[in-house]
Amino acid sequence: MIPFELAEPRSLKGALKLLDTEDPAVRAFGGCTALMLMMKTGVFQPSCLVSLRRVEKKHAGISREDGGLRIGALATLSSLEQSAAVRKAAPVITRTLRTLSNVRVRNVATLGGHLAHADPHMDLPPVLIALDAQLTAVSVAGERRLAVQDLFTGYYETALVKNELISSVHVPAQDGRRSTYVKCTTRTADDWPTLGIAVSLKTDGTLIEDARVVVSAATEKPLRMAQAEAQLRGATVTDAVLARVGEAAAAEAELIGDARGSAAYKRELLRVHAARAVRQALAGGER
Amino acid sequence: MTTQRTITFILNGHPASAQVGNHQNLVEVLQGQGLCGARESCAQGLCGCCTVIVDGKAVSGCLTLAPLIDGADVRTIEEPQAGSKDEHGLDAVQQAFIETGAFQCGFCTPGFVLMTRQLLDAHANPSEDEIRHYLAGNLCRCATYPEVVKAVRLAASKRKKAGKG
Repeated sequence: MIPFELAEPRSLKGALKLLDTEDPAVRAFGGCTALMLMMKTGVFQPSCLVSLRRVEKKHAGISREDGGLRIGALATLSSLEQSAAVRKAAPVITRTLRTLSNVRVRNVATLGGHLAHADPHMDLPPVLIALDAQLTAVSVAGERRLAVQDLFTGYYETALVKNELISSVHVPAQDGRRSTYVKCTTRTADDWPTLGIAVSLKTDGTLIEDARVVVSAATEKPLRMAQAEAQLRGATVTDAVLARVGEAAAAEAELIGDARGSAAYKRELLRVHAARAVRQALAGGER
Repeated sequence: MTTQRTITFILNGHPASAQVGNHQNLVEVLQGQGLCGARESCAQGLCGCCTVIVDGKAVSGCLTLAPLIDGADVRTIEEPQAGSKDEHGLDAVQQAFIETGAFQCGFCTPGFVLMTRQLLDAHANPSEDEIRHYLAGNLCRCATYPEVVKAVRLAASKRKKAGKG
């Protein structure tokens, strides 16, 4: 790694000011785990890094909000994993964190960085999209709110404009929805996912009133599967319905082959695991 | 502004300082202090060989920028274990790893020992599933995983007997 400057502003306002520059090699970080990998491999060479670790503590807070959650973007993944509020409002987040990277990375990596990095292999983006979460982005020009599903515009690309930071994430009340995340790894159990599937269902008895199905890791960005969702909406789950869900997802997802499997292999994984994910969600999310 | 700075921190209970480049990492800082227990191996935060305890939490030294250590409490495998009755000053976790033979070459052992202490501080009596999940980020290329699980269980019972669990 080559030398660079490092700033540690004491406020979010101070950080935004430092980021208000034309220099594309100025970058903010929370835990710096993902950025370190990019710097070590030379993919990113900063002129100046802006550490957010000294900004006001309130930006790392986790609290209940309107029956859901408000999560400060600087909350570490460990603090989310251990949060009673998160477990109560959205237990699928707690379960997902268990197999997300490892303890040491979760101890320092932040939710804001996890989202802003926009690596399609990240585990929480599909989950947050399935939960219909939103986020607040701030810049010197002010703040705006957008849906997490609208954050991702491509491979490592986001809708954040230059100098904008994610300040908080908002998970709405789930009102009895059942959600799950299925992570398929092909090399080792703890590998990055080859395919991620998040499912959230609103049910009335055996009837599925509403469904969100999100595919990640095998695609260039996490994406809702509209056709698979349409197969579930208004249906009672049977093997035939689940088969159609798998077929629909496999047909509509634009899958990318890589070192973890060919596109054809991932299509087969998706066909099988989309159906399993729905069953798992119905069973309460536990594997 | 500059790309270098002087940092001061607590290292294994004693004040320390170092002249570091912003781009250096914690493993390099420790090597500069003559401590080689934390090793950079995978350099990606996957293997756990560079585990260091910073402000009470386990981190990967290879992913920790040196300047962020300024003002921190840093503990490494070299830290003497207070209250140890062992002639070598080892704690229950280290003794358990020796007694179960939970290593072969020993390169990964400092990381496993530090992570096991963290695990047992949080869960005094972890199940095998909890042990495997917690240590999933530590790799042993000699594949002593079955012995590591035994070592963690033995350490848990040793700590319980000593009234630490």
